[in-house]
Amino acid sequence: MKYFTSALWAETLKARCSKVPLISAIGFSLAAVVDGLFMIILKDPEAAKQMGLISTKAQLMAGVADWPTFFNILGQAIAVGGAIVFAVITAWVFGREFSDRTVKEFLALPTSRGAIITAKFVVVAAWTMGLSLLVFGLGLVIGNAVDIPGWSQDLLRSSTVDVLGAAVLTILLLPFVALAASLGRGYLPAFGWAILTVALAQIAAVMGWGDWFPWAVPALFSGAAGPRAELLGLHSLMVVGLACALGLAATYLWWQKADQTR
Amino acid sequence: MNYAIETSGLSKFYGDVHAVDAVDLRVGVGEIYGFLGLNGAGKTTTIRVLLGMIAPSAGSACLLEQAVGPDGRGPWARVGHLVESPSAYPDLTTRENLEISRRLHGMADAGAVSRVIEQLSLSPYADRKAGTLSMGNLQRLGLARALLHRPELLILDEPANGLDPAGVVEIRELLAGLAREGVTILMSSHILTEVDRLATRIGIIHQGRLIEELDADTMEELRAQRLMVQARDLSAAQTALTAAGYSAELDRARESLVIKDARAIAAPDEVARLLVEAGTAPTRLGVEQENLEEHFLRLTGVLK
Repeated sequence: MKYFTSALWAETLKARCSKVPLISAIGFSLAAVVDGLFMIILKDPEAAKQMGLISTKAQLMAGVADWPTFFNILGQAIAVGGAIVFAVITAWVFGREFSDRTVKEFLALPTSRGAIITAKFVVVAAWTMGLSLLVFGLGLVIGNAVDIPGWSQDLLRSSTVDVLGAAVLTILLLPFVALAASLGRGYLPAFGWAILTVALAQIAAVMGWGDWFPWAVPALFSGAAGPRAELLGLHSLMVVGLACALGLAATYLWWQKADQTR
Repeated sequence: MNYAIETSGLSKFYGDVHAVDAVDLRVGVGEIYGFLGLNGAGKTTTIRVLLGMIAPSAGSACLLEQAVGPDGRGPWARVGHLVESPSAYPDLTTRENLEISRRLHGMADAGAVSRVIEQLSLSPYADRKAGTLSMGNLQRLGLARALLHRPELLILDEPANGLDPAGVVEIRELLAGLAREGVTILMSSHILTEVDRLATRIGIIHQGRLIEELDADTMEELRAQRLMVQARDLSAAQTALTAAGYSAELDRARESLVIKDARAIAAPDEVARLLVEAGTAPTRLGVEQENLEEHFLRLTGVLK
């Protein structure tokens, strides 16, 4: 436990001293800001007509300016945007050891590789969950500031489950990003993996088997494509859990067994 | 004898490439073992296998009488290492980089970081981000990380890399001091003079195989001067020199007579006069001292 605590301290320090947390927070906060902007546009159709492309997009995505629509867009942004932003964070946490050539410094230590990898996953989970909560909280502030109708405590409860549930499901799929960063020994393979899974998730959803494709599940869970009960089943959550377990196991195994030549 | 490093048939193959081929390495406790080889000879691969970073294809490695690996197991609390070029987290200061190492080594002594910073003359750079350090100071940081936990065994890959001449001397003295305290050191280097000055034993690796080990006596012999004599009739010259009390040995490869007697090296003109009087005048006479570099280059086929 002492060694895990040390590894967690080290990973936290590395994250804290870099600019990536700030950049990711600013970047991800745009989801709530843009969501609020859509609501402003939708509240005033006359102004919307004068705003060209943004107005058209806002009409396509939403339609009405109210809290259900606001939460719907936020959930979708966290599910899809999170797949990219969270992947960037994971790629950075794992891939930087190769880019900075520091990987060789933690392979022959009393602290096991397993403890270090666990610490990395804990930091990624805390960081991405923190970002999700930040964006959700910011969304509530912006929604209130824009003063859209349709608020209720029930809606808040169900939307919290939709939005943060989508975030948790997205986070559960990050071990494969960590595996891609480890196997590819750097950032780029992990970015490639993230983009590939986002694209495949869209295809899977369109073809109607998104409930079986782990990377399509978070967006479907957010309620963006319709009522969750019609789109997903228990098996959908199970495939996400299975993907998470497989990703974790493969990442740990790789760090234990792979030759480290960098 | 207790060995700090002991390998048996250690091999690493990448397809048909034998990066390390059946290396039997034994480094005694307290030795400074110089590990020499050309680029791609297998030095770094051997070091990585010793540190459990690469799994051997065959054979085994023991450090401080504990088997290395699988799964990265080893006596790492007692081993310090510096592998290839030094690296550090560029956003963190020198002190923070070392603090990470201290904690990952499970060391309770919080003063260890300041002490090693002082020891490696890194005090002016302690609070500077590692990304702004010069190559030499980054190397010092790498060495500080290796020494932080006062290891019994140091495995250093090119420890003098990037250091200025004063730094090279400083690190040499530091390592010599550690060896006097009983620390075992295995160091690879391209700077053969450094290895020659510091090492108590040298291993030469070539194309993955440990082709020669030189102990202290052999190294001393290499440093010894000798008089090389060439003549048209080497046999007659050898007879004349032997009759005069010189120990002239025939070196067939170089078609020369080799005389190691101090009086011959001090007065080669006497040898010349003797040979002329014996009717077998020398065609070439020269005092030579083979250094480690020449020996190494000839052994590895670079010098013919």
